[in-house]
Amino acid sequence: MTAIGTSVARADGPLKVTGQVQYTVDTQLPGMLHAKVLRSPYPHARVLAVDATAAAARPGVVVLTAADLTNLDHAFGVALRDQPIVAIDRVRFVGDPVAAVAADTPEAAEAALEFIDVEYEPLETVMDPEAAAADDAPVLHPVERPRAPMFVGWPAERFRGSLNVCSGYHVEQGDLDAGFASADHVFEDTYRVPPIHHGNLEPHAAVASWDHRGHLNVISSTQSPSIVRLQLAEIFGLTENQVRVVVPYVGGAYGSKVYAKIEPLVAAIARKAGRPVRLVLTREEVFATAARHACTVHIRTGVRNDGTIVAREVRAFYDTGAYADTGPRASKKGGYLAGGPYRIEHQSLTSYCVYTNKAPAVAYRGFGVPQVVWAYESQMDDIAARLAIDPLELRRRNLIRDGDTFVTGDVLRNPGLDEALEAVAEAGDWGSPVPEARPGFAIGRGVACAIKSTSTPSNSAASVRLNADGSVHLLTSSVEIGQGSTTALAQVIAETLSIPVSRVTVSLPDTDVTPFDQSTISSRTTFSVGRAATDAAAKIRQQLMSLAASQLEAAVTDLDVDEGSVFVRGSRDRSLTFAEIIRRHFGSPAGSLFGDSVFQTRGGLDPLTGKGKASATWFYSAAAAEVEVDLETGKARVLRIATSADVGKAINPAQCHLQNEGSMLTALGSALFEEVVYDAGQPTNSSFLDYGMPSLEDHPLEFHSILVEHPSEDGPFGARGVGESVISPVAPAIGNAVAAALGGARVRELPISPERVLAAVDQQPEARA
Amino acid sequence: MQPFELLQPRTLEDALDRLADDEEARPLAGGTALVVLMKHALLRPERLVNLKRIPALQGIDWSSETGLRIGALTTIREVEQHQAVRTWFPALAEACHVVANVRIRNLATLGGNLAHADYQSDPPAMLIALGARVRIRSVSGEREEPLETFLVSGYQTTLEPGELVTDILVPPPTAGRRMQYLKFTTRSAEDRPCVGVAVSLGLEGTACRDLRVVVGAVSSTPVRVAEGEELATGKVLTPDLIDEIAGRAASAVDPIGDVRGSPEYKRRLVQVLVRRSLLGSVTEVSA
Amino acid sequence: MKVGVQINERELELEVATNSTLIDLLREDLGLRGTVEGCGVGVCGSCTVLVDGRPVSSCLVLAADVDGRVVTTIEGLGRNGALDPVQEAFLEHQAFQCGYCTAGMIMAVKGLLAENPRPSAAEAKDYLSGNICRCGTYEEVLGAVATAAASSDGGGD
Repeated sequence: MTAIGTSVARADGPLKVTGQVQYTVDTQLPGMLHAKVLRSPYPHARVLAVDATAAAARPGVVVLTAADLTNLDHAFGVALRDQPIVAIDRVRFVGDPVAAVAADTPEAAEAALEFIDVEYEPLETVMDPEAAAADDAPVLHPVERPRAPMFVGWPAERFRGSLNVCSGYHVEQGDLDAGFASADHVFEDTYRVPPIHHGNLEPHAAVASWDHRGHLNVISSTQSPSIVRLQLAEIFGLTENQVRVVVPYVGGAYGSKVYAKIEPLVAAIARKAGRPVRLVLTREEVFATAARHACTVHIRTGVRNDGTIVAREVRAFYDTGAYADTGPRASKKGGYLAGGPYRIEHQSLTSYCVYTNKAPAVAYRGFGVPQVVWAYESQMDDIAARLAIDPLELRRRNLIRDGDTFVTGDVLRNPGLDEALEAVAEAGDWGSPVPEARPGFAIGRGVACAIKSTSTPSNSAASVRLNADGSVHLLTSSVEIGQGSTTALAQVIAETLSIPVSRVTVSLPDTDVTPFDQSTISSRTTFSVGRAATDAAAKIRQQLMSLAASQLEAAVTDLDVDEGSVFVRGSRDRSLTFAEIIRRHFGSPAGSLFGDSVFQTRGGLDPLTGKGKASATWFYSAAAAEVEVDLETGKARVLRIATSADVGKAINPAQCHLQNEGSMLTALGSALFEEVVYDAGQPTNSSFLDYGMPSLEDHPLEFHSILVEHPSEDGPFGARGVGESVISPVAPAIGNAVAAALGGARVRELPISPERVLAAVDQQPEARA
Repeated sequence: MQPFELLQPRTLEDALDRLADDEEARPLAGGTALVVLMKHALLRPERLVNLKRIPALQGIDWSSETGLRIGALTTIREVEQHQAVRTWFPALAEACHVVANVRIRNLATLGGNLAHADYQSDPPAMLIALGARVRIRSVSGEREEPLETFLVSGYQTTLEPGELVTDILVPPPTAGRRMQYLKFTTRSAEDRPCVGVAVSLGLEGTACRDLRVVVGAVSSTPVRVAEGEELATGKVLTPDLIDEIAGRAASAVDPIGDVRGSPEYKRRLVQVLVRRSLLGSVTEVSA
Repeated sequence: MKVGVQINERELELEVATNSTLIDLLREDLGLRGTVEGCGVGVCGSCTVLVDGRPVSSCLVLAADVDGRVVTTIEGLGRNGALDPVQEAFLEHQAFQCGYCTAGMIMAVKGLLAENPRPSAAEAKDYLSGNICRCGTYEEVLGAVATAAASSDGGGD
């Protein structure tokens, strides 16, 4: 069979090129109302009074305020339950929901918002995560919030400072002081990353309705139908089977739609209205709902003259905004990965997850990792420069190898990292002379590499149904967010059952029908859901063989499966198609066979030591960039980029390349110009008029995507995952190329704006070419 | 967007009458700015006077004696693609081409662009460099004004209530005139300009007969570098002289800091980009 | 107010509100939901449709302004059940991922090829650069443009 390793056409293609594809924003229900949200104009304020009388008196208008939440367990959050559906007594960022309105049209709802009076008392704000962690900082959540049951928490007290530190993580090995004492050189730097926008073109959208059984139905653009169902059940005091979450195709997510976002609010106002209610966020509201964590990374590294890294200390302050959301998990991941994919004997890695008066930072492609990779891979080239060692060679000398024990205690098996690094070096002509630049310009090259883990423990269930005609259906709660899951999952099933991929269709999530899946996050769908689907399909295969054994009067051990038939090995004429087997079994050409499977990864890190099993599989990636810098304006242009990722096994190579291209471009935007800007607590560019994302003209003139295949132990056919791999090394590769072009002058804060490049050149005049 | 009354006059006279009747009524041209402002409730007009159905406001005419007349409702895309514009004012075609994206240029009009007076825009600087004037009508008559004085400040023009820009007039270029528009973005290629530099250079042999240098998108209105222009008159534009003019440009602007750059950075850019534009024009001369 | 408009080759007489935009008219009044909104300010290109053959952002066009015009949306492409060559080229090159920008991107390509049936890569980039794909599927879009341009009818109408 050749179902895997083949770039079969996407299952959703015909829907997407014709506009027939249905997104949540396309949902229309009879009698549906439209919601609009009243949001805080203050970054931090006490809410003294909310008077919605005049709004509620308008015809056809339903209003939701804190007064409607008294009978609900209303605070939500997947780590800490700290986020109210609408503000109770305090607002914590500009855009924090204060009240919501539902009406017959969006315009009527919008108009009604103006009839809600809110009395605020402004409070002191804190916008910088490190300042917010200090013990004299204004506190956002004076009362510590309960932990969500799913979250294995760290005792935040260990990391305070201020109550704003809502979580922390620490791990160490060796003896840090001894390590630094044995170093010939010590490098100590601070790197910064600002908040950036996900840019999911489909805004967050949800439609909620309640039926007369008291059951809640939600159609949502979420990446996490199974978890959103749990969260809604908790909030509204329902059992899981009383909540139904349906997810149509999702028009871009990149982390912005992980776990409950707007669903609790929409469900709450629909309950009050007694009618279906739809909320589609405006672009400004998307900016107020999700961002990538800003981060300040202090990194100190001790190195011997031969380039051996002997000690590393990292303290990273993750700015999680006004609510924790996934911040405690993202900062944990960034924390234990902050040492990088290197053998370092002595390490101390600490991360802090800190509240500030910014919009909530949430999951974002890379999940806390690009921030620390920006720091350690940039510093790596400073080390190389001072030691006069080639940056690629310096990495080679320190890379982790097969069988190494990671700082968490995980043993790394068969990492494709060295191969990934060598591949981009070759594609990027590393070591050959850099092309001569035009007068007034300089060209430089840079490399970087990275390691990332996947959410562990987690579990995914899959249910495979074989129809009487031999066609197959996969029931899964994994979400098609554009990554091609409905295609790749069909491929692993087709491979297992030896049938054409076109015979398999993959469901979209409907929690009344499709089994549990942790979430479409963490590059885990092909690995986890793919494995569950493969195992489920194998059970169907077993059933078919058993049935065929009696029908063909042969031993199961003598049977094999090929091209939709079971046959007796060595005599292909004794064969039955799947359809024939089912017809004989049921005595009619109708009925179906089921195969179910759950794939579970085990592990987790001990809250006190930070050690244990961090990840069920690991992602390795590298990038090489060639950049031209305009020395007078400071503007950097990416001439070419090569990226590589160890995908384990490429189930669908074309889709793997597309994931790499998307990761590369998002990273390029974050490297050179993307930033959500705040001025005195007010966001100043929450519109695409003022927040630019990479366009066709920003695409590197030359782009290579390289797939390395070092099989994983547990993934289907050895697959690891690919969704986030490339995002981490691209920004430091660009940064290293810029620094190389400037003779070592380095920008340590993203984005590498033209202005910052000039400032770096000014501080190091010899950098001028 | 909240409801409003939409008036659809078919003649200029009718439109002017409507605007005279109601000082609060706002003229609607391409709508790419106005509709955004209304969607965000930054403007809430009760009455719009739609100018799109008025033939007199459309079209481009060219004559070598009188120059270019561009009807105010001509889309940016039409200006960019018009043969006479491309032939006689290639830098104006360029300044229009770099506006936003093709979809916006198919909607936005040149008159609307000027009347909106957004400082982060490309065509105004180039038009000022070319000595463009705007023709303005109201029920009480007609007047003409240089674009340079028409633009008063960010989002502010000399338009009085009831007045409409009807035409943009660009004088014919002198023989062999060099012109250039340079848009510089600091972020995505699709971003609005951080700095725009427009140059129009008339020559007498190899010497400069007259020069216009206009810096757009930096201050609240495009800034003419008058001192630098005077320095150039009658002289050959040597690299030293160009450096001096570029320095004058940097002192002439009063940069607005925004997400595209700080005032200090923009001032520095102005010097670099004016120098590059002038060097480009001179190179073109010697070529 | 009354609007007479041809949409996807159907002549329609419609009653629209003054504050209704073209995308509202298409999606809410006519159920043509292939056109989607991403930013609402004319930057992202998700809502691109053709008006008199030229691409525009339907989020910024007043519905009243399509009176007397010819509008083409993604639903209007293809003939007799067959896909348009541009749609075929997008399938062939897998020039999409989440698909949210795709209808707008395809309409922009239609506009490009109608004006310039054999665009160079540089011309295609310049024309399409205002259509944002956050999944980053740009090289494939350029590939699809080349394929569609090379197909017998040039992909134009």
